[in-house]
Amino acid sequence: MKKNKKMVLFVSLILAFALVVTGCTSKPALEEAAGEIKIAVVGPMTGDSAQYGQAFKKATELLAKKVNEAGGVNGKKIKLEIVDDKNDAKEATNVAQKLVSDQDVIGVIGHFSSTASLAASPIYQRAGLVELSPTSSHPDFTSQGTFMFRNVNTQAIEGPILADFAVKDLQKKNIAVIYINNDWGITAKDNFVSAAEALGANITAVESFIGGQTKDFTPTITKIKNTKPDLLFLAAMYSETGMIAQQIKQLDYDIELLGTSSLNNQQLIELAGPAVEGLYLTNNYFPEDPSENVQGFVQEFKEAYGTEPDQFAAVAYDSLDMMISALKVSGPDRAKLRDALAEIKDYPGVTGKTTFNENRDVLKDMIIMQIKDGKFTLFKK
Amino acid sequence: MILQQLINGLTLGSTYALTAVGYSMVFGILELVNFSHGSVYMVGAFLTLIFLTSLKLNFFVSFLLSIILTGLLGILIDKVSLYPLRRKNAPKVTALISTIGVSIFLQNLVMLVWGSETKNFPLVINPGAVELMGVKVSFLQMIIFSMCLVIMIGLNTMIQKTRIGKAMRATAQNAEAAKLMGIDINRVIMITFFIGSALASVAGTMVGMYYQTIDPYIGYMAGLKAFAAAVLGGIGVLPGAIIGGLLIGVIETLSAAYINSGYRDAIAFAVLVLMLVIKPSGLLGKQVSKKV
Repeated sequence: MKKNKKMVLFVSLILAFALVVTGCTSKPALEEAAGEIKIAVVGPMTGDSAQYGQAFKKATELLAKKVNEAGGVNGKKIKLEIVDDKNDAKEATNVAQKLVSDQDVIGVIGHFSSTASLAASPIYQRAGLVELSPTSSHPDFTSQGTFMFRNVNTQAIEGPILADFAVKDLQKKNIAVIYINNDWGITAKDNFVSAAEALGANITAVESFIGGQTKDFTPTITKIKNTKPDLLFLAAMYSETGMIAQQIKQLDYDIELLGTSSLNNQQLIELAGPAVEGLYLTNNYFPEDPSENVQGFVQEFKEAYGTEPDQFAAVAYDSLDMMISALKVSGPDRAKLRDALAEIKDYPGVTGKTTFNENRDVLKDMIIMQIKDGKFTLFKK
Repeated sequence: MILQQLINGLTLGSTYALTAVGYSMVFGILELVNFSHGSVYMVGAFLTLIFLTSLKLNFFVSFLLSIILTGLLGILIDKVSLYPLRRKNAPKVTALISTIGVSIFLQNLVMLVWGSETKNFPLVINPGAVELMGVKVSFLQMIIFSMCLVIMIGLNTMIQKTRIGKAMRATAQNAEAAKLMGIDINRVIMITFFIGSALASVAGTMVGMYYQTIDPYIGYMAGLKAFAAAVLGGIGVLPGAIIGGLLIGVIETLSAAYINSGYRDAIAFAVLVLMLVIKPSGLLGKQVSKKV
């Protein structure tokens, strides 16, 4: 007990000291540092989700280059620090620890998964560093603290939209569900199931799988087939959705598929081709959208990387752009950046109009798309 | 439904068995748990895919090239990461850790070169399916299943009947004595690694084609399951690897179908532990007294 007290005293002394030191030196030091503003972009740059982290990296680097060429933010250049959290909760806390201790880092774009974002959030909150996740849709994420922001509809918003579409538009009464067994998958499933049941649908089966491990879905599919649903809802990423769709086809089973906006990735069609034909999904970014800012972004991205930007690239692009527009107001200060970011209203991004509500969650309009002739097409606006 | 689930399970089991045979053979001869086997399996699948899609080669040519290259990779792994340890008489556990290192290296190398996205593996040979009593069995499933049997019988014959097989058995019994009898044990080990890795490429390609997708992570779970299958059947005993693989596949499928799909691996491995407690040497394994 006594030892503990000593420890606490010691730690608080160090913290107090750190506060004093950073309080008096960090600001002038920053301004001297050739007028740079450092923003960290964190996501899985390696590992089995690396494609999402790479999308973050590509989109934010594109934007930073563009902003810097146009003179930067109030004369200061944006400097990105790309950080790898391997989509792992432990690794996420490690990199968060590293970032908060680097006083030059003014804001963080990341992390990718709700699991990583949730794990890292207490560290950012304690240090007072903005954590703006482009993709974490777990409802609990932004309630971890006042410095947590997200730029994606929560499953609490997306789930009911999906359920409404399934029951009212598609007129499906018997629905089966397969979900990925992680924070995101569980909330996606729960929100969809409760909304669908409230609309009078009958949920015939709810099956889970472990992401990155389960490759064989034949027992699950055979089981679901036996419950005779007329729609299968998939709360899964594109890679597993592709596998599930292919194995459904291999088992000679014919059922309509519905997925979330996380499936909006060209890779899904390349992966599963005819097996995902007819699949419905929600979305708030559509590369064929004729509006000027979307086409401008798609064009720039294609020129730089030779591929069309996906949902993850688009939302990371918007996230950084929002942070930059907040920085123009706040200057390079962690706490002021938070306040300026929270003020953002009707920001016209490539992923639709964005406003933060009082919980720092966003409300974005969603459209329904369908895969037709090997392409994502607009189904209902 | 139970019949269809059994077929699902047997196919899944055959994919494990196919991988387990190579695992078991390397262990039988070197007494080395080769954890890089799973990654070699993944590399084999990727090589076939790259020859097939990037170089647009014929499937059988791609497959053959992949088998040979993966076999050579096996030799390289031995020369780089295991031979130096053997020469220094390092304990066996060092070699085991070394293979884990190789496994991680290969996984990251493939990710670096080809990216981490899940890739489509085209169904190049699609021989169709037959329906028996309401159960659908595809010919690809049958090919995978019979491939296991052919490989097992072929390997068994080679080990029991041929000169090199004899040398392998001698090396397995006592490498020192084998050396004294004029057997070039480094050559024997090289051949063992070549065959084991070539088989991994066969397994990787077949499984990739069956599921039509591959990613750099397929080796991890496949390696683990194959290892479990080999241990369950009695490691070093080739028919045991087949039986172990089929058993794990069926248990996993049935637990996903009738208990809970989230616990399929947990249940399969719990059964493995239970069986090993009852029969530590595995189903077909013989209790051998350890040489002192």
